[in-house]
Amino acid sequence: MMITGVKVTLILLAATTVTSLVLGTVIAIMRISRIKILRVLGTLYVEIFRNIPGLFWILFFYFVFPDLLPWGLGVKLNSYLYYPIVAGILGLTVDNASYVSDILRSGRLAIPHGQREAAISTGLSRVQQYLHVLLPQMFRITLPPLGTRMVHNFKNTSLCMAIAAPELTWATQNIESLTFRGIEATTIATLFYIFLAGIMVSMIILLEKWWKIDVSSISHSKA
Amino acid sequence: MIKFIGANKSFNNRLVLKNINLEIAKGEVIVICGPSGAGKSTLLRTINKLEPIDDGEIIVDGMYLSDPKTDLTALRAEIGMVFQHFNLYPHKTAIKNITLAPRKVRGLSRKEATERAEKLLEKVGLLHRRDAYPVQLSGGEQQRVAIARSLAMEPKIMLFDEPTSALDPELINEVLDVMVSLAKEGMTMVVVTHEIGFAQKVADRVVFMDNGEILEIGAPPDIFVNPRHPRTKEFMSSVFHIPVFNVNQEEDQDF
Repeated sequence: MMITGVKVTLILLAATTVTSLVLGTVIAIMRISRIKILRVLGTLYVEIFRNIPGLFWILFFYFVFPDLLPWGLGVKLNSYLYYPIVAGILGLTVDNASYVSDILRSGRLAIPHGQREAAISTGLSRVQQYLHVLLPQMFRITLPPLGTRMVHNFKNTSLCMAIAAPELTWATQNIESLTFRGIEATTIATLFYIFLAGIMVSMIILLEKWWKIDVSSISHSKA
Repeated sequence: MIKFIGANKSFNNRLVLKNINLEIAKGEVIVICGPSGAGKSTLLRTINKLEPIDDGEIIVDGMYLSDPKTDLTALRAEIGMVFQHFNLYPHKTAIKNITLAPRKVRGLSRKEATERAEKLLEKVGLLHRRDAYPVQLSGGEQQRVAIARSLAMEPKIMLFDEPTSALDPELINEVLDVMVSLAKEGMTMVVVTHEIGFAQKVADRVVFMDNGEILEIGAPPDIFVNPRHPRTKEFMSSVFHIPVFNVNQEEDQDF
């Protein structure tokens, strides 16, 4: 049960890290777009998903979301064995993406104006400006808060116990109630969380070193 | 090559460009000078439409900037621009800074773009720094890489927006040398600068601006030595630290 818990937690972590980064990037770009409707939609997204607890969204995707779908599809989802995991991924993603997008947006605001002007004046299209000039710098500038957010998201996977997704915290609780060996189970879970968060943090630190290019000093660098 | 017809522009109800009429021929080197806030940089930035004008027209290489059908991205690829603060991409090495646009905009292969970039780096004397990141370069080196980055697009026009203003005095000449050689190769250049020496050496014409207006256009000696407009006289005398002798004033002026 513990092993399954670890596996499910890892699946939740891997899936939501990727999906929330992608969704968060899209929302961030919407929010800094020059098209007003995109900006409004992006802001609306952040305000809705950031201001309502992540746990709510996990419950929402598990209990409410299938009922909103056409009847047949909803029933199929409800009877799908792994739906708790899917609902967990959805809930965590929409929650985490709202933070990611705001962090990335702050990164965009920190890039000096001249960077885009340089890109424009060499004839790069808007998409190319983002792909090659802006986004790489946004991720570099925001790496520290972004990394912290991702660790936070990792810990949030434990919220999925509320919908009985068999992740680590759920497994710990289950072992406790079935065998009364709560202390052992909790100890193992604790060590695992610390271990995995430790790995994440070291990866982020490595990435920071790897990217050790002082982005902020670009345009006002010493002559 | 570049033609301004009655161009006007305002920021917050303040006119920053007033009825600009100017024609720049192919191969000409134009230096724009004048006090800060005169609209020099704004004028320069309207040429590749980093700043749009409110009314009037600008024609660059036969293309009308106000025409919505004008492909601005394609036009900008033909106009190199060098900035006061270099604006190199900090996350890319010198060589990658140069190859980005030729590869993405011109569709050059990595090999072709790298060869072209190496040639340009050699030209600006920085081939040995090809793999350095911008923070590892001095200001003068960064600016020379920035010039190489613009040249890699093989532009028809080069715009320089105070390219040496952010540099230590000792590093200014290495950048100016590159610009002088570029001018001698026949590049069409518009340069906003306070480097009078540079202007005297290579400028075909000097444009003096103040308060959003072009007050005087002429050959470098005409503007620097024998300016006609009183405002130009005043500016030049303060630039060259020559006291203004004003008949209406009795006492000597401090300077």
